[in-house]
Amino acid sequence: MKNSNKVEFVINKVLLRNKAALIMILMACVIGLIQPIFFTTDNLFNVLRQVCASTILAMGFTFVLGLGEIDLSVGAILGLNGVIMAKLMMEANWPVWLAILVALAAGALFGIANACIISALDIPPFIVTLATQSLFRGMVYIITGMVPISSLPASFVNIGQGYLGPVPIPVIIMVVVIIISYIIANYSTFGRHVIAMGGNASATRACGVNIKLVRMGVYIVTGICSSIAAVVTTARSASAQIAAGKDMEMDVIAAVVIGGTAMSGGNMNIVGTVFGCIIVGMITNGMNLMGINSNYQVVAKGALILLALVIDRMSNGVYAKFVQKKSLKEAEEAGKNTAEEGDKNE
Amino acid sequence: MDETILRMNGIVKVFAGVRALSGVQFELKRGEIHALIGENGAGKSTLMKILLGLYSADAGEIMLRGEKVHFKSPAEALRSGISMIHQEISLVPEMDVSENIWLGREKLFKSCGLLNKKKRVDETRKLLESLDIRIDPTKKINELSVANMQLVELARAVSYHSDIIIMDEPTSALTNKEIGLLYRIVRKLAKEGTAIIFISHKLEEIYEICQRVTVLRDGTFVATENSEDLPMERLISMIVGRKQNRVFEKANYSTDEVILEVKDLCKEGVFEHINFEVHRGEVLGFSGLMGAGRTEIMEAIFGITRPESGEILFKGNKIENKNPADAVANKIGMVTEDRLRTGSIYTLSVMQNTTIVAMKELANKCSLYSHKKEQDFFEKSATDFEVKYSSSNELIGQLSGGNQQKVIFARWLSTQPEVLILDEPTRGIDVGSKAEIYRLISKLAQQGMAILLVSSEMPELLALSDRIHVVREGRIVYSCNHQDATQEKLISYAFGVQND
Repeated sequence: MKNSNKVEFVINKVLLRNKAALIMILMACVIGLIQPIFFTTDNLFNVLRQVCASTILAMGFTFVLGLGEIDLSVGAILGLNGVIMAKLMMEANWPVWLAILVALAAGALFGIANACIISALDIPPFIVTLATQSLFRGMVYIITGMVPISSLPASFVNIGQGYLGPVPIPVIIMVVVIIISYIIANYSTFGRHVIAMGGNASATRACGVNIKLVRMGVYIVTGICSSIAAVVTTARSASAQIAAGKDMEMDVIAAVVIGGTAMSGGNMNIVGTVFGCIIVGMITNGMNLMGINSNYQVVAKGALILLALVIDRMSNGVYAKFVQKKSLKEAEEAGKNTAEEGDKNE
Repeated sequence: MDETILRMNGIVKVFAGVRALSGVQFELKRGEIHALIGENGAGKSTLMKILLGLYSADAGEIMLRGEKVHFKSPAEALRSGISMIHQEISLVPEMDVSENIWLGREKLFKSCGLLNKKKRVDETRKLLESLDIRIDPTKKINELSVANMQLVELARAVSYHSDIIIMDEPTSALTNKEIGLLYRIVRKLAKEGTAIIFISHKLEEIYEICQRVTVLRDGTFVATENSEDLPMERLISMIVGRKQNRVFEKANYSTDEVILEVKDLCKEGVFEHINFEVHRGEVLGFSGLMGAGRTEIMEAIFGITRPESGEILFKGNKIENKNPADAVANKIGMVTEDRLRTGSIYTLSVMQNTTIVAMKELANKCSLYSHKKEQDFFEKSATDFEVKYSSSNELIGQLSGGNQQKVIFARWLSTQPEVLILDEPTRGIDVGSKAEIYRLISKLAQQGMAILLVSSEMPELLALSDRIHVVREGRIVYSCNHQDATQEKLISYAFGVQND
């Protein structure tokens, strides 16, 4: 008995919880062997800078997946908020901080819109956010007239390109967002309600949790994360690009799932998500270092997402089977006991 | 006509250590209408599912037309001439009547390799006319009334020319006139040699239409009798069984203070004019058959659904529970009937499942909580409720049903509700855990909690309740005190044999 619990503990906690860290180390070794340049400080910082925006985005995404839902509009919200900020700064001459604040509020608002449509009309989140994705992206095209907005104020660009000591500012922002997300996920009632709802929404509702509010909270979190990612992306490229954030949801889904958050909801692994993002970033970086054609990179990324899903399914399967076997054995034992009892009574 | 077509002998079925059927026998003759009757959980549906091949029996044999059979699926049973009309409608709403009747057998109406609609519709019309059913074969199912859907199901079963048709409460959705039509069709089929197994909760119905009755009780065979020679009182005592000793002795902790009052609660077609009050320290039991509306009443009080009219008063003040969150704020808790669907949260640990309701109280002003505090809280609750677990981090699905149920009790009681609704609190759990849960309920009443107890287990209800209401077809048809309650009385009101 004790032994089996130990095995279970090892499978559950050590292997499954940190499989992303293992994959990351393995992958770093492979890439490093092929391209020793990979392990230079410059390049490693490069990888970190590159993954900032997607990691911030992935924090929000961890919450939606934890809820058992999906938000395909995060990339489009990122693009739209970049444009909104740029327009406010360049054409309305608003101060940088106010433009950022407006973008954050807009992100929250878009999230509320997503959540309200899902809750009120009871339509699957996949469809709703697919529609709003197109809606937000279309707004980017209309507002910009297909022309990127560039030469943004220096104080804004500094957020994306500057350093605090040796550390790039986006990395600091990323770390702060990770820490806040970690606290919300693991130490707040909201975080607990999210995974409860992801596990069994009707049961959670029956526990007196207002599940519509929880859903709204989650989509607000993703909206705000998208906005913060928009700030980092826009500032880093010193311009609001029309295609900013496009297809980013794919990278993010892969990262979150590799990180150990189940597609079906019910758990969140913030630390795993960070590793997942670094893995995705490392692959991109590694392929660039090896000079692989960017068209092939797209294919490689698709393959990676499939792989992530296979890992997701397999690891859950292994654990579920283990649990099932155990409960079956217990049921049998219980059956034997009742039978014996019955015999005694007779 | 006396030829035996089906014989089931010594059927045993065990689910996770619980005996659902122990050595049940059943015999069916060609051309008879044979009632299968028993309380909820007596084993009727398990027996029929074994016959249809949905479950396989752990022991026993099935002889069909003298040959030993063992079906692996309902499709196989159907090919051997056994069809079943389920209580729930299983038709495709977007297809028309004729398409539904011949679903899966389209090749009967092929001409030149294509499906011939006219042929199918004509054949359907003939079939329906032969049964005196007046429904247009080209009408879509979702344009039909529920009663007509049931008749289409019946026509479909007949279209297989089955020798045996199983009907599971076929009259539950029908009006009197439609019931008359159904009886006519059933009698006609029987006359033509079809054997009918008629599962019903309505005793008058059985006397009206069935020649023989088989009674099951707690998974055992009681008797098969001719309905003509069987007085109703004896039938009832066969269903109920010997007088059982009360399984548990509970003192009466009821006080005069009314905690919750329900006034004229209505929801059309589900329950009507529900009035009752429950006092501090009282256990108010709700008896009745499955589908009588007890769960629906409780769900309306707890805000899972909303009633159409009526009032709920908490200590004399009107409250409105738009959702369970409101109910919790109004000091009401509920252990739901379906642990799988609305009870356990399987992705969470034992501890997280215990603390989910109390989370708000555990957290500080910023709604953050400490893991240490949660752990302490959990350990205290788990000790209080005698939950057996190996680690607070193990998933709740790893606990036994009884232990899961204790976790769910613990979940609610941590917030100290003043009213606790218990819907089938001991369903699917072993005898030992049951006794522990009875002790727990008794202790809670002693502490002054008002408890609404819905249960289909008579001994449990009789042992724990201070007063009992019997619900039948969405209405409270009978109320009595602990002392006056007997299984016979409750059953006869639940079955509608006795009326006030």
